[in-house]
Amino acid sequence: MGGAVTTRSTSQGVLGRDERRQPLVARRWHLRDTPVAWLFLLPVLILFGIAVVFPLFDTIRLSFYDIKGLAPPKYVGLGNYTRLFSDPAFLHTLGTTLTFTIGVTVIAVSVGWVVAMLCAFAPRQTLPFRVMIFSAFGISEAVTGYMWITMLRPGADGLVNALIRSLGFPDFAQPWLGDPNTAIWALIVAAGWAATGLPLMLCFAAVQAIPKSVLEAAYMDGAKPVSIMLHIMAPLSLPGVRVAVFITLLNALRAFDIIYVLTGGGPVRSTETVGYFMYRESMTQFKLGYGAAATVILLVAVLIVSIPAVIQRTAGAR
Amino acid sequence: MTGRAPRWIIVLVGVIAFVWIVPIIGVVVTSFRPPSEVVLGWWRLDNLTFTLSAWTRIWDAYPLADAFWTTLQLATLATLATMILTPAAAYAFHFLKFRGRRLLLILIINAFVLPQQVVIIPLFQLWRELGLIDSFLAVLIPYVGLSFAWSIFLVKNFLEDFPKELIEASRIDGCTPISTFRHVVLPNILAPIFALGILQFLWTWNALLLPLLYLRSDVPLPVLFARIAGTYDLNWDLRSVAAIITTIVPLLVFLVFQRQFAAGAQSRTGAKE
Amino acid sequence: MTALTGTAIVRRRTLLAGAAAAMLLAFAPHTAAVAQDVSGELVIMQWQGGVDAEVWKKLEDAFMAKYPDVKVRELVVTGQGDMRGPMRTALLGGETVDIIINTWPAFRAELVDAGVLRAIDEQWDANNWGDLLSQSWRDLGSYNGATYGVNYTYGDRSGIWYKPAHLEKAGAAVPTTWDEFIASFDKLKAAGYPVPVAIGAKYWSHTEWFETILLRTAGVETAAKLAAHEIPWTDPAVKTALKKYAEMLQAGCCGSAEAMFANDWDGAADQLFKADQSNYQMIGMWVNARARNDYGLTEGVDYSLFQFPALGMGFDDTSSVDSKEVSGTTNGANPAAADAFMAFMISKEAADILASYGFASPSSVADTSLLGPAQKVATAAVGSSKVQFVLGDLLPGDLVDEYRVQLQKFLQDPSDANIDAVTAAIEAKAAESY
Repeated sequence: MGGAVTTRSTSQGVLGRDERRQPLVARRWHLRDTPVAWLFLLPVLILFGIAVVFPLFDTIRLSFYDIKGLAPPKYVGLGNYTRLFSDPAFLHTLGTTLTFTIGVTVIAVSVGWVVAMLCAFAPRQTLPFRVMIFSAFGISEAVTGYMWITMLRPGADGLVNALIRSLGFPDFAQPWLGDPNTAIWALIVAAGWAATGLPLMLCFAAVQAIPKSVLEAAYMDGAKPVSIMLHIMAPLSLPGVRVAVFITLLNALRAFDIIYVLTGGGPVRSTETVGYFMYRESMTQFKLGYGAAATVILLVAVLIVSIPAVIQRTAGAR
Repeated sequence: MTGRAPRWIIVLVGVIAFVWIVPIIGVVVTSFRPPSEVVLGWWRLDNLTFTLSAWTRIWDAYPLADAFWTTLQLATLATLATMILTPAAAYAFHFLKFRGRRLLLILIINAFVLPQQVVIIPLFQLWRELGLIDSFLAVLIPYVGLSFAWSIFLVKNFLEDFPKELIEASRIDGCTPISTFRHVVLPNILAPIFALGILQFLWTWNALLLPLLYLRSDVPLPVLFARIAGTYDLNWDLRSVAAIITTIVPLLVFLVFQRQFAAGAQSRTGAKE
Repeated sequence: MTALTGTAIVRRRTLLAGAAAAMLLAFAPHTAAVAQDVSGELVIMQWQGGVDAEVWKKLEDAFMAKYPDVKVRELVVTGQGDMRGPMRTALLGGETVDIIINTWPAFRAELVDAGVLRAIDEQWDANNWGDLLSQSWRDLGSYNGATYGVNYTYGDRSGIWYKPAHLEKAGAAVPTTWDEFIASFDKLKAAGYPVPVAIGAKYWSHTEWFETILLRTAGVETAAKLAAHEIPWTDPAVKTALKKYAEMLQAGCCGSAEAMFANDWDGAADQLFKADQSNYQMIGMWVNARARNDYGLTEGVDYSLFQFPALGMGFDDTSSVDSKEVSGTTNGANPAAADAFMAFMISKEAADILASYGFASPSSVADTSLLGPAQKVATAAVGSSKVQFVLGDLLPGDLVDEYRVQLQKFLQDPSDANIDAVTAAIEAKAAESY
């Protein structure tokens, strides 16, 4: 058994070569699949339908109205969308969002993945360390956000600046959260720090799923840990990595609390992401229609990116 | 577990972990010191006094036991539901062929983009019509419904590396899809199932927005603690205590569940190497 | 199952409002009597936390002691940042309450236009609430000629906090004129304080200076016109105020813009009260509680307050204030109890409870001797001023955000050219917000 090695070569799509060669019993699975599939999926679809599809339709409907607070909504057709695309604040958030989400995902997944692989060599001994890193992920973002603020304070009260000074680089100490050029990076570090627990856990699960026989063989051959990590663990833990990237990326897209606490979207809107923009428009200013339009645009953008990916990967299901 | 645990690895991970935990140490310290000492930084050593004042104030002012129980119920139910429903759904998406498979999958996965704010108002109106406000269902349904966006993706990803030969073999043996699922697939995807259990428990335990609006009489911990801070009195010592209290149980769940994949899920039923 | 659309909700509410109004009219002769028969449940929408929530619990307990047949229930809403979002969510979802606590006049206008609040002119006149609250407080709670809110607490937003020890060390007296104020910066810097004025420009507290300067340079009416967009933001009055603000910045008051952006009002307060790096902060009265509780300082001894210095441009008897009011709803189940509660909030009992927590009450029976020394200075100053509500709470939602961000840009570059750019940008946003 090839362990985690996939054997996707059998899939050829509908009526491909292999399907014609399959025994009768297997082919009959196809016909019987649909009712079973729906049995497995029905509860999921019902819950999903209520919790997601129904509000989604409402959101799409709202996006065609101009809603200011509690005033009666006014139908504006595509007005919100045209305004969004000519709103410099919104357009600016697109670039910031890209930087933020990619930055956070890169930090969280690379650290999480590497540490997960390292931990795989000594799962029991490293358990407390994994708990520590995961606690950063689990604990309230508002409170840890405040801790980051205190650490990043300008002047003598900031821990980071105090450290930098004591290391002999007084010019390097600056108001990290106050300077529009550095604020986004400080935010990415803090958000990445918090997000790392998830990739760590998922990649660790993925690495642990690698059959021990494969690892044993490598050890017998005298491979060093680093080489084992690079050549065996890394490629074989990709499922965990993929999911970690997906969840971290999308969490970063929707991030609000950490941005609000650290920078409030500023200074001068330099750290405002699409998620923050959506929240600000919808909840704070209660321009539900405008916020809904931004949500729809975001959804469409993510759809465009993900459809090819999903099609490519579901092609290999048989 | 190869029995060979290079020292430098443990030390390296340890160093990373201790650096990582600095802000958390800040939270703990802030909960044990009077606010006037930590205002300029919790690491300050000029006036070092430790006090349990914040802890006793929280204990006295808030009905912690009830909130704990409510939170436990909500998180447990939501987690069990997701852990039970997701693997079957992921299996169906990955191994079964049926109409609308791709469309459905795309729809479900992309729903993850939706922020919670989009969901609350329409659902609020719906629950009021149905008289479900203040019932657990009002939060459980969205908890579980929203979780599928990422949970199905998670399990499906682990299924992609699942050896097809086992499925083929069981089909040839005449097993139905259901029994294939039960006997062949399920035992081997315990790792991702418990991983998603950890995540769902954490997120539903910490959930604030939905229970805030939908629950009135029995509220979970985050809702209880939401009003510690006033508009202008920030009460970081109390909030630190609240954060610590709230985080303990999900960390315990993490500890317990991760055994399922830390032990090394090398047992795969079916064909030998 | 169809979701209720916004219009459907408003229609339903207007219907209910109409019904409620009809009922009130039918019982009009009886509402004049101060309620002996006040009973049942009173639902209050509560969005406050921390010490505000505490003081409210005390007020509610005192009210229930006075009216034993009434049971007060709080409908708690909360969120991150601006609380109006959660309040609107609750209202749109169909929650009914009797009393709404409000601190934003713009929100009051929005609620009235949506048919949520009911006018209380009848009760005011019939029960002589005018004996307790002056006409100017009644005006502050009015909209379009009708009264909706009973102001029960207020705060001075034109006061500057300082530490006497700092000024002593620098050999400066408490400034009473603008020129003295500016001149004190050099003295303070010479005495070793790097940043005389602490401004936390992360969210909104940098706008405090602009707002009081606007009042002092152009008067209350001009500020009111600006808030209603009867004059544009590019008006010379606004630019003059910003130029005065620039004067302060260019005199080296506040350090770099980046340092200002890094802090919210609490970080700035830390610099003044704890780190002794700054000497002045203009911020609302809530910092008093922070100074006592979080910093462990003594009011009047370690720190105090002086009212904004005189600019000598003819409007020095003006002050910016914030206040909280209670309003009754059109569809609440218990308007009689709501009226009694509103009356209670300006009674001596309520004023004393508020004072015990350091909150000032505008009620004429409030005992100002219960307030601390700094509070007394503020109360006296406001008492002798023409007051205007904080501009930021008068503006419509999306304009406020733009206003704050543009003022951040102003802080980065207080030149005349940038003032033109900044005001033009705010005006562009204002054009589409009203």
